[in-house]
Amino acid sequence: MRILMKQQKTLYLIGFLAVSLVACKQEFLDITPLVGSTEANYYLTPEDAEAATIACYNNLQQEVTNIQGSAQLAAHFRWYFGDICSDDSFKGGSGDGDEPDLFLFENFQGNSSSRILLGEWQVAYRGIAYCNLALSNVPNIEMDLTEQARYLGEAAFIRAYWYFNLVTVFGDVPLILNNLSPSEYQQGRTPQAEVWDQIIADLTSARESLPKRSAISVSEIGRATWGAATALLAKAHAYQGNWQACHDLCMEIISSQEYFLDSSYANIFTEAGENGPGSIWEIQYMNASGGNWGNQLEGTFTNVWQRARGQFGGYGFNIPEQNFVDEFENGDPRLTATVFQEGDQMGDRGTFSLDATGMPHLYYPKKYFINASDEAPFGDPNPNGYSNDRVIRYADVLLFGAESAYHVGDEALARQLTNIVRARARNNNSSILPNLDASLTGQALLDAILHERRVELGLEGHRFFDLVRQGRAAEELTEFGFTAGVNEVFPIPEVEITLSGGLITQNNGY
Amino acid sequence: MKKLLLAIGFIGAILATSFSQGRMVSGKVTAAEDGLGLPGVTVVEKGTQNATFSDIDGKFTLPVSGDEVTLVFSFIGYRSKEVALTAGQSTDVQLDADIAGLEEVIVVGYGNQKRSEISGAVGTIDTKEITSLPVLRTEQALQGRAAGVQVTQNSGQPGSTQSIRIRGTGSLNNAEPLYVIDGIPSGGIDYLNPADIESISILKDAASAAIYGARGGNGVVLITTKTGSKGQKPQITYESYYGIQEPWKYMALLNAEEYAILMNESRSAAGLAPLEALSNPAALGEGFDWQDEIFERAPMMNHSFSFTKGTKTSSTAVGGSYFTQDGIIGGEKGRFERYTFRINTRQDGGERFRMGQNVNFTHLNRSALAENNEFATPVGRALNMDPITTAQRPDGSYAYSEFIDSDIANPANQIALNNDFWTTNRFVGSTFAEFDILSNLKFRSTMSVDLSLGSQRIFYPSFDLGIGANDPNRPAYEFREVNSLMLGENKWSNWQWENTVNYEKELKNGDDLQVIAGYSALNNVNTNFYGSRDSLASNDVLFAYLSNSMNNAEQAPTANGGISESSFIGQFVRVNYSLGEAWSLAGTVRRDGSSRFGMNNRYGIFPSFSAAYNITELPWVAEKDWIDFLKLRASWGQNGNADGIGNFDYTSLIYNGLNYTFGSEQVQVNGAGPINTSNPDLKWETVEQTNIGVDADLYKGKLNIVADYFVKNTNDMLAVVPLPGVVGFLPSATNVASAKNSGFEFMVNHRNQKGLVEYAVGGNISFIRNEVTDLGDGGQPISTGSVFGIGDLVAHTEIGMPMAYFYGYETAGIFQTDEEAAAYEALPNAQAGDVIFVDQNGDGTIDADDKTMIGNPHPDFTYGFNASMNYKAFDFSLFLQGTHGNDVLNGVFRYDLNTTNLPVAALERWTGEGTSDLYPRISHSDPNQNNRISDRFVEDGSFLRIKNVQVGYTLPESVMQRLQIGKCRIYVAASNLFTFTSYSGLDPEIGTRGTLEIGIDRGFYPAARTFMAGVNVNF
Repeated sequence: MRILMKQQKTLYLIGFLAVSLVACKQEFLDITPLVGSTEANYYLTPEDAEAATIACYNNLQQEVTNIQGSAQLAAHFRWYFGDICSDDSFKGGSGDGDEPDLFLFENFQGNSSSRILLGEWQVAYRGIAYCNLALSNVPNIEMDLTEQARYLGEAAFIRAYWYFNLVTVFGDVPLILNNLSPSEYQQGRTPQAEVWDQIIADLTSARESLPKRSAISVSEIGRATWGAATALLAKAHAYQGNWQACHDLCMEIISSQEYFLDSSYANIFTEAGENGPGSIWEIQYMNASGGNWGNQLEGTFTNVWQRARGQFGGYGFNIPEQNFVDEFENGDPRLTATVFQEGDQMGDRGTFSLDATGMPHLYYPKKYFINASDEAPFGDPNPNGYSNDRVIRYADVLLFGAESAYHVGDEALARQLTNIVRARARNNNSSILPNLDASLTGQALLDAILHERRVELGLEGHRFFDLVRQGRAAEELTEFGFTAGVNEVFPIPEVEITLSGGLITQNNGY
Repeated sequence: MKKLLLAIGFIGAILATSFSQGRMVSGKVTAAEDGLGLPGVTVVEKGTQNATFSDIDGKFTLPVSGDEVTLVFSFIGYRSKEVALTAGQSTDVQLDADIAGLEEVIVVGYGNQKRSEISGAVGTIDTKEITSLPVLRTEQALQGRAAGVQVTQNSGQPGSTQSIRIRGTGSLNNAEPLYVIDGIPSGGIDYLNPADIESISILKDAASAAIYGARGGNGVVLITTKTGSKGQKPQITYESYYGIQEPWKYMALLNAEEYAILMNESRSAAGLAPLEALSNPAALGEGFDWQDEIFERAPMMNHSFSFTKGTKTSSTAVGGSYFTQDGIIGGEKGRFERYTFRINTRQDGGERFRMGQNVNFTHLNRSALAENNEFATPVGRALNMDPITTAQRPDGSYAYSEFIDSDIANPANQIALNNDFWTTNRFVGSTFAEFDILSNLKFRSTMSVDLSLGSQRIFYPSFDLGIGANDPNRPAYEFREVNSLMLGENKWSNWQWENTVNYEKELKNGDDLQVIAGYSALNNVNTNFYGSRDSLASNDVLFAYLSNSMNNAEQAPTANGGISESSFIGQFVRVNYSLGEAWSLAGTVRRDGSSRFGMNNRYGIFPSFSAAYNITELPWVAEKDWIDFLKLRASWGQNGNADGIGNFDYTSLIYNGLNYTFGSEQVQVNGAGPINTSNPDLKWETVEQTNIGVDADLYKGKLNIVADYFVKNTNDMLAVVPLPGVVGFLPSATNVASAKNSGFEFMVNHRNQKGLVEYAVGGNISFIRNEVTDLGDGGQPISTGSVFGIGDLVAHTEIGMPMAYFYGYETAGIFQTDEEAAAYEALPNAQAGDVIFVDQNGDGTIDADDKTMIGNPHPDFTYGFNASMNYKAFDFSLFLQGTHGNDVLNGVFRYDLNTTNLPVAALERWTGEGTSDLYPRISHSDPNQNNRISDRFVEDGSFLRIKNVQVGYTLPESVMQRLQIGKCRIYVAASNLFTFTSYSGLDPEIGTRGTLEIGIDRGFYPAARTFMAGVNVNF
């Protein structure tokens, strides 16, 4: 009996100790992050609204991006599509094996496993996701209504910009206007026409709430304006052949006197020329944010990507073609502002010779060339180029004005607007670039306008899309492997088709 | 060296003055168990060299040196015995069988267990091997010593980490085991002085590791440090060694002449004119050997002392050490220094109360060179650098290459400019109190703290290898105009509080019951701070401080930092039950919660069961006298792996820093938003393992065998499953993937003595098969392992395949003629001399879909072998270690740059029909992309390494008495003396970079071959 008692006592003791050990505080495990908030407790204050809007801009700068969920980096510049896929430039690099995806691309052999396309797709939809977050959360924040409307206008403009890029690169794409819940992750394609309608709707509303350029402060330069939304809207109409709407919008911009042409064409592409008088929409870059490979921050890769190899320390991509150089009229100063030729001084980096570059190329692009002395003051200079991406310039609007005037039957206005562009390029040198003759009419006039587009906007990422839009791609690009009815758009990334569970279908011919 | 020889000579002289002759003793040795005579027993007169052996009947006679002598009888499998007797006498001696091997107590989780009763799979490292061999870092002590444990260097640079895999790679994330040092879970064991270690146990199966619940999934390495014992006489030990390290291999590369010939050929193939400087290859001769430039002989040194002492009621162990090792590349620029200090004490507070403290302080200094990447490592640069450029110009200034630039800049200059310093001060301490509530019921409470302060200081001085900005040929990477400094401070502070009760009871029927139950709470806080600045006023690292800048206004320092916290709670109980001598049963349950787990899965439960049956209890086994002990073991259990989960991975944090630049002043404006989708279901990875094994002691302890078969399934493995791009945010890791490791481990040891020679040989071998069994919805493979020189990701993780296998194009030789190339339409840009890539899917084009398995980085088997021998005062040991069947991806050369130096194999290139079917033509433009990822870059990584060979000599006691030293052993040793491998790179033993990059050589910092001499002294 005594023994039993003792055993019982032991058991009680064990039981008591076990209970006291188990009784722990649940809160011990509930650790909230000491830095940063979670999604549930954000989007509450005007500061949150601003930060949510700036986040929409952030993705615009991504040129070399991590492919989602992997360590792969994908480079997908506007000029990959606009210039290298056109007759304006070759890929370049150290050889055919340097950026092999791009090599296939420029010969229209690009396939659906290309990282370039995956990067383009994913960055666009990431940008759209931030716009959708802002567009759905900012309206619920109590704040100044004008500011709120402006934030929403900026988000709508940037969303339209992304869809513009997507629809011109891929054709039909999923139209995502809200942040998706897990059950909605798989989405099919929306017909182009509906995507264009949304682009037009977003830009129309953005135009109403965005300030004019003249109304924003110096510290806000780079933010979306009424002019940017209106110009992109004009382009959207032009891409669909709505020439009257395009024309009206171009004339609205021209008559607003918000923009004028920099008297020096070459100056546009200098650092001083950034956000200049003719700048309508520029993606902003700077060289002092300390970005690196895989984390681009505020700098651009375009500078190093397009600079010659060898002693110039670049990667030597986007090599101008002879055909492009030949397009310039005799003495057109825009050629020397666009293309380096052998013997030219490449800023403070030395004289361009084939030996100095170690490559056989005769030309190099110049618009995004920067001096060694202007490289990033610290860190790796390569991801830290400073050059802004000039997406929409006033000359672009003037030439769309001319093209649309031609299409709506006002040939005199078409000539007049083109001549404004030629006069600036001429820069008072009467021996070059004469005004279009009043006798120039019909197809010859259209050809002159399109010629002007090619040289004025050369190597700025427009050419391929212009050729497709104008139905001239087959004519100009067949020698590079272009097939009409197929290569107007690029293949949808294979991975995205798989991940959509088959809801996304491949483009015709791929 | 001369000094050492002198010392040996001196000792020899003392030996010669040994003993005088005269009297005899004799007798018979019998075995206690059966009374039969024991032949071959060593009989030694204590304190002398006088020795003999018993004959076939167990009889012996021995001449002795004095009247009153002590004889020492020793024989393998029996306990040694000392007998005092007078000369001329005869004695009969009975020796008892030594069953200590079975009685040996092994450290297991939260306690100790007799080896004979263990029912899980626990490996132990004989700590004698750690103390007799110079072990530089504790992980090394595990290498090749225990079956199922693969230890691979991640770099040969001093202070670099090692990758440890217990029973294969069981996770896509963190696959390193949990280290528990004196009961404290610890990230890394580099702070330990190997000489302080008392025991190492490796818990390999789920049942043994189950008591560590959510953190035991990758296996557990338990380390205890020396504490001294009660009643022990004071003992002082001093150990020291000095070694010289040197490279054991250079890669065979092109000399200057060969380089010029190939570059000219390469340029001409691409339609480029030859370079003027290379126009006369023969005149260039051998050129410059960059490997010889960067490699050097480097010293290393260790001093370690310890003091142990006991009283009736307490014991104390004090230890201190200093270790320093220079790099064979960079010398002091790759130096690692470790200072350690430890005090362990135990006190009794009366009959029922005990307490103890362990206090360790470690100071680590490390100066490190970049390693194993293809961008800026001295090794990669030295191998890729053209052999024409010299490291220095005649005037002593560092030169630049006129042939190659970007990432391949002068490595000698890089080493000279390297200022990358890491300092760690780590304090680990614990104190426990133990109270006997009843005689068989103990309560123990342990509080421990692990505080680690890490500082990093990196200075990039400005430099210019040209003649300034006017140098027209100055490559972009050969100057830095603005110097910069980066400072970082990291603090990790962990505390853990554990309370356990332990109940032991011998039941009336003779069965034993042991129960341990406990509670554990752990909290971990990491804070960090980084600051940087450029344009410092001085270019000297000594004056590199954040406030020492030239332009305070414009070059403001940048600073950033953060803080992160996590916590764990665990409750556990383990029951051990012994049914007589035959059965040992054990069951464990642990419930673990962590702040890292999502709200929907805050707690997990981890059960396990194991049983062992002692076959020796069966009559028909017991009668076999060659079987001493035979045990069958079986176990099943589940563990978790929670250490691959970040602190707030389950939630969607709002990140600041999604910035954009606005305004003419280019001001960065803060943007904020989520990056990832959230995952409230996030939880541990579940590792489920079944183990069966057998332990056998045979032939009176002369042969010892341990064999295990296991199947280890990791489920709920965290993987990032790609989401459709339209989601916009990055996918967060979800518990979707599974992997399986299964294998067979075998260990055998044999020890014996023949005459005065005692010897032991042993080996272990492990066959492990690794396979990914699930990767979640869609099973999208994971690509990793970017190798820049071949411009692709080379590792692939895919269902049904081993993790991170090598993935690329299969080749089928070289096109011998243009016609042959033209006929192969899948490669439209190919011509004669180009590589034939196999069109796996037969679709007529070569694209990513044609990639296939081209190699496996996991070995078919790994093995270790050791042999040791004692003869009188001499000892000899040999230790080999190797892997077989694993592949290495040779990504050393930057083919993307097309002007690098190349291995001599490039001379075998195709130059015309029939010249080569292995090596393609060489071309600057490479239109066929011959250097794309293919089986051409995969090599057999099998190797056999003589890890250690050593000869020691223990000075005789007579000498020691004169010198008043207890024991003194001197030795010479060599590490990595020979490595047998067919791998062409600098070192085949290449670990991991992240879990999913295994065996990729990007210019690996090789292990050194080291020659050492050392001394161990006990006072």
